[in-house]
Amino acid sequence: MAPIIRVEHLRKVYRVGHEKVVALNDVDLAIEPGEVCCIVGPSGSGKSTLLNQLAGLEKPTKGHVYIGKHDISTMTENELAKFRQEHLGFIFQSYNLLPSMTAAENVALPLMFKGVGRKERIRLATLELKKMGLGKRANHRPTEMSGGQQQRVGIARAFVAKPKVIFADEPTGNLDSQTTRQVLYRMLQMAKENGTTFVMVTHERELSAVADRVVTIMDGKVESNVLMDAQTKAAAQAEMFKDILEQEVPAEPKTTRPLKSEKKSEKQ
Amino acid sequence: MKISDLLRLSTDNLRRRKGRTALTVIGVVVGTFSIIVMISLGIASNAQNEAMLQSWGDLTQISINNYQWGAASGDVPTLDDKMLEQLRGYEHVVAVTPMYQDSNINAQIYAGKNDRYEAYAWNMYGVDMDALQAMEYELISGSFIQKDTNLGKKKIPVLLGEHFAYEFQDTRKSYNSGKRQRYWGETDALGNPIEPFVDVEHDKLTLRLTAYDSNGNEKTEEYQLVVMGIFKQDDAKQYFTNAGIAMRVEDMQMLSKAYAKLSGNRQSSGGSVMISSSGGRPLTQQDNGYENVYVKVDDVDNVSDVEKTIQDLGYQTSSMTQVREEMQANVAKSQMILGGTAAVALLVAALNIANTMMMSIYERTREIGVMKVLGCEVRKIRNMFLVEAGAIGLLGGVVGVLLSYGASLMLNNLTTIAAIFGGTIDLSGLMSSFGGGYYYGMDGASAAISIIPPWLVVLGLGFSTLVGVLSGLWPAIRATRISALEAIRHE
Repeated sequence: MAPIIRVEHLRKVYRVGHEKVVALNDVDLAIEPGEVCCIVGPSGSGKSTLLNQLAGLEKPTKGHVYIGKHDISTMTENELAKFRQEHLGFIFQSYNLLPSMTAAENVALPLMFKGVGRKERIRLATLELKKMGLGKRANHRPTEMSGGQQQRVGIARAFVAKPKVIFADEPTGNLDSQTTRQVLYRMLQMAKENGTTFVMVTHERELSAVADRVVTIMDGKVESNVLMDAQTKAAAQAEMFKDILEQEVPAEPKTTRPLKSEKKSEKQ
Repeated sequence: MKISDLLRLSTDNLRRRKGRTALTVIGVVVGTFSIIVMISLGIASNAQNEAMLQSWGDLTQISINNYQWGAASGDVPTLDDKMLEQLRGYEHVVAVTPMYQDSNINAQIYAGKNDRYEAYAWNMYGVDMDALQAMEYELISGSFIQKDTNLGKKKIPVLLGEHFAYEFQDTRKSYNSGKRQRYWGETDALGNPIEPFVDVEHDKLTLRLTAYDSNGNEKTEEYQLVVMGIFKQDDAKQYFTNAGIAMRVEDMQMLSKAYAKLSGNRQSSGGSVMISSSGGRPLTQQDNGYENVYVKVDDVDNVSDVEKTIQDLGYQTSSMTQVREEMQANVAKSQMILGGTAAVALLVAALNIANTMMMSIYERTREIGVMKVLGCEVRKIRNMFLVEAGAIGLLGGVVGVLLSYGASLMLNNLTTIAAIFGGTIDLSGLMSSFGGGYYYGMDGASAAISIIPPWLVVLGLGFSTLVGVLSGLWPAIRATRISALEAIRHE
């Protein structure tokens, strides 16, 4: 299968005052369609820069980034905007939800840019939120939600337009470990369901255990590019999502009132 | 992204910052309000000027003065019927009529038994009846004379001025007698108006031409005048609407010819005006055609163009346009000064909008970044802010228009309002500062001080919106230049 993301001799140099800082130095990379790819590395290694290049948020100094057949490193800003609308989704570390909009409106944003009518896109957004277990929160504003909930809204927003590729920059960076595992589980589940290629940057190496491919960046170079085998992957995921899998789908909404069946059993 | 989404986003943003939006809008309100009120004052004083000029004479009328003693008569083409046809063919010309008078004719009009009552036919004109109608001459009774009216030989259809009947004198009374003449407006001891000697509409009127041939013999010729209608007196028009006689040009020409024949066909009597109509006598050298011709133009704004064209032919002309233009220039000058002040207010409002938009964009840098990353095109981000700025302008414009309507209403009823509070206000100072002192003779109390026509409302709204959009332009462009990457890192 042809890789969906292909990076050739990618080089990015920043100018800091009079000094040049080489953030990426001759990076070559290929990611297959439907893969979950983790880019790991210590801070300052250039992993975030790599992600920005892959997503077309910055122009490379040298080299090319292809997504599908498109060379996004030569696209104009407007072409890129269109391209992102059609094919890319984003998840941010700090969620980046618009505070003036409800959860559903936030999720519907990419659809709005695509020109989907308001009624239809709110319907689709609410559907997406339900999948993320936030059906009841559709009309809440981000300020009324917890960090984990906000990030789940962010994930719903990334998936709502059914993009080919989703980029996530430290998506769990602001979350506690319990929530991190939940959010991670959701993301992976959604990616697999939709056959979406998922590229995630993280500095927490342990999270990469769930990925199909782990790319380690060090000092602006690819240090290792490992394709995980199915067995290790299954084991790692079982280990990481143990509590979630036991719980099945998390009980949402969390009601304090017991269910009817439970009430009955209590009587007995 | 649809237009409805764009509008929703923009207005949401305005609603989010109500206080700031309100303050910015107030700035625009002040600017729009002052500009509209200033312009409305100017429009009102122009309207007053116009009404006043109208009372002086028809604004759409040009008078061609072709008197023989006028300058440059040598180069001037003859103002004959052919030339009148040419003038009628010009664009914007509605009607043309000579004010044809033969100053040589010595004629009296007689009425009553044994020609007891006599009037001099001083003000006897040959005119184009259609043109009179176009120039809005009005009749109290009867109708204008038709082209094909033919009453038979020696019978001339005429229109008389409203008070022509008072021209008649009683020839039985001596010149010193107070009873020889009656005047219009006089009343008897009981206060009833004194009727004239002659009922011009029913009594028989005889026009008698009197001439002396080369031997000094008196020769006379008589015609019957048949009154077809009576003019309504209008001092803005020709004097014959008051106490004169108007007839068709061809009848006047016939009289003129008859008189010339009567007096022995002498040409040297000086200044005799003979017009060549078809089959008529050829013009003599000193003849320069009609001495006075009126040209009616379709619109006031075309008067100066038509007048220029006629002047280019070599004629001397006069019209109200010159006075009017001078008055307008005066009003325009004061409008410029006041309007300029108002424009400064709007300029400040524009800076205000720009500042508000800059703040708004700074606050929303992150939002803009997120939108960009999610695939919102640069153009749409720019439009979003332009719509926002335009909405501020429009909102200010709407409120400004409403307020200026209120102010206009107040200004126009100032005397009433002042009366309620038990005082009087003299506005003549304010108004004369506009018109440059042309206000005498106007009924100041009834005339509107401020007029806001619909186009001014549209202009006000359009302009305020435009100001909003323009002052939002730079901030909006700045917004589009924000790097998505930096924006999403922005805290």
